[in-house]
Amino acid sequence: MNNPHHLNPTSLKSRFTTRFLRALTKIRAQKPISSSSPTEIFRRYRRIKVAADKSMAYSVRSRRIWSRAMLWKLRSRSYRRQDPCSGRRSGKTNQAIMKKSSNENTTTRREDGVGFVEEADELRQLVPGGETMNLCNLLDETAHYIKCLTTQLFSPIGKG
Amino acid sequence: MQPCSREMQAMNSLLSPTQQIPLQDLQPNGNSGTHQAQIHNPQFDPTSSHDDFLDQMLSTLPSCPWSDLKSPWDPPKSDETPPSNHDNNVGFHYDEILASKLRQHQINGGGGGTTAAMKMMMQQQMMLPGRLIAAAGGGGLTMPLHNDIVDGSSFKSPNQQGGEGSVQALYNGFGAGSLHGTNNQSPNQPQHFHHPQGGNMQTQSFGATAGTVMNQSQASGSTTGGAPAQLKQRVRARRGQATDPHSIAERLRRERIAERMKALQELVPNANKTDKASMLDEIIDYVKFLQLQVKVLSMSRLGGAAAVAPLVADMPSEGGDCVQTTAGGGGSLQRNSNGNQPSANNDSLTVTEHQVAKLMEEDMGSAMQYLQGKGLCLMPISLATAISTATCHSRNPMINKGSSSNHPLLQSNGDGPSSPSMSVLTVQSATMGNGGLDGSAKDAASVSKP
Repeated sequence: MNNPHHLNPTSLKSRFTTRFLRALTKIRAQKPISSSSPTEIFRRYRRIKVAADKSMAYSVRSRRIWSRAMLWKLRSRSYRRQDPCSGRRSGKTNQAIMKKSSNENTTTRREDGVGFVEEADELRQLVPGGETMNLCNLLDETAHYIKCLTTQLFSPIGKG
Repeated sequence: MQPCSREMQAMNSLLSPTQQIPLQDLQPNGNSGTHQAQIHNPQFDPTSSHDDFLDQMLSTLPSCPWSDLKSPWDPPKSDETPPSNHDNNVGFHYDEILASKLRQHQINGGGGGTTAAMKMMMQQQMMLPGRLIAAAGGGGLTMPLHNDIVDGSSFKSPNQQGGEGSVQALYNGFGAGSLHGTNNQSPNQPQHFHHPQGGNMQTQSFGATAGTVMNQSQASGSTTGGAPAQLKQRVRARRGQATDPHSIAERLRRERIAERMKALQELVPNANKTDKASMLDEIIDYVKFLQLQVKVLSMSRLGGAAAVAPLVADMPSEGGDCVQTTAGGGGSLQRNSNGNQPSANNDSLTVTEHQVAKLMEEDMGSAMQYLQGKGLCLMPISLATAISTATCHSRNPMINKGSSSNHPLLQSNGDGPSSPSMSVLTVQSATMGNGGLDGSAKDAASVSKP
């Protein structure tokens, strides 16, 4: 490619990369790699994975249904961890957002008329927030989701 | 070339008694000696008068009663291979009977007969369960159907010149169903046998694709069909230009879905499927694969001197799959994947497997560390197959596969697979950039190495 994406400051790839890098350095700075107990390692892994998801979702903001759903999930999870009571609060507001999007995109279980119900349902489970989408939007979201996933995977961030 | 299927063996045994006689009788000059080769040789050369052979067989058949069949079978020829697969069903026995009957007729040289008798024999053959080989019935004229095309040609060619009408009648009598309809007595018999099968398959596949096309066209056709049914005064809409708003919306929706599918096709590898359902399946597998890779990458991004430790991945998201993966520190893993991995052979892997199994029984941590030392990790086979089927070209992260049970399937080589039944991936850092998936796991359920 003559114009690498990461040079473009506004591209998805650059946004994701900067965010992810920031998150990773924060994680590495937080915790020295001391213990090798399974739970500790697992926690670290979870943190990194969450950081990756978060960076990706934040790079996309609310432009996409799946990013909104992902952000809601991350937020609700973090709220639940911090404060059990606030989970209800955030859950309600976020659910209102989700319901709004669901009303825009018609009902959840819907015979699309093209006969791909099983595959469409499976895809809905895979793509975050896909339960509330009709097939048309689902395909759209899937395309963007795949694009973001590949961006995340092929980011130049090393692991050393 | 020896026949491998039962039918082939049956044919072979049937051929040997029946063919030898004509060869001896009718081809004194010709291809004697290598009867076996002749049988399998599609260029069986009817140099001499095979018409006589055919007429002989056809004529002599009806005169002999069925009870006489058993006797001529007793003294077999010296180089004749007795039908070895007696465990087959009754039909095969009847084949032998017919073969012997024909031989007897040939030997006796009986009087005239008609093709009707042959047809009767063939139909009796047909009624035998499961066995449609009536080679002896035709004296090598009719074919054991779909499998033995080579023998079919060898059967056919001797009788091409003479008695074509009778042979054709035999064929028709024998069963159009199994032989894919009537066959022409043409020199290129093998191709003809292939073509009906290929044609059937092609028609089936074409029917599948046509079905989807038909669905769409039917839907649009129905829209145009609906319009004239309502009012005569309304102008009949052209096909694809229905005036009904519902149908227009429907059509728009379908078009949007189609264009989104096309956009997805470019993103997903192996997107050469024409069927929408299979395309969706590909997309699903690809998304699963990408999500899995993200997980693995985040594990390998743990980084640093964290030597390895067992990770119990999130159970709920895996849907109950117990994923135990280990990921070495980037540096150590890098070394491992570049280092001595190519030297791993089957023996060392087997040893590794046993070792890990032993370790697993006592302590997961030590087992995982042992794996890590070799640059391996564990994964459930279902996920690993998802990876291997999702993409075949290079990907940065590669994951070793195992099973979630106590029998890990290990292969450490990232560069060259030592066994094609396992797919081997090693975790690599993204900076390496030379990942590659090798092989593919054929059997997701099997754990042991072949």
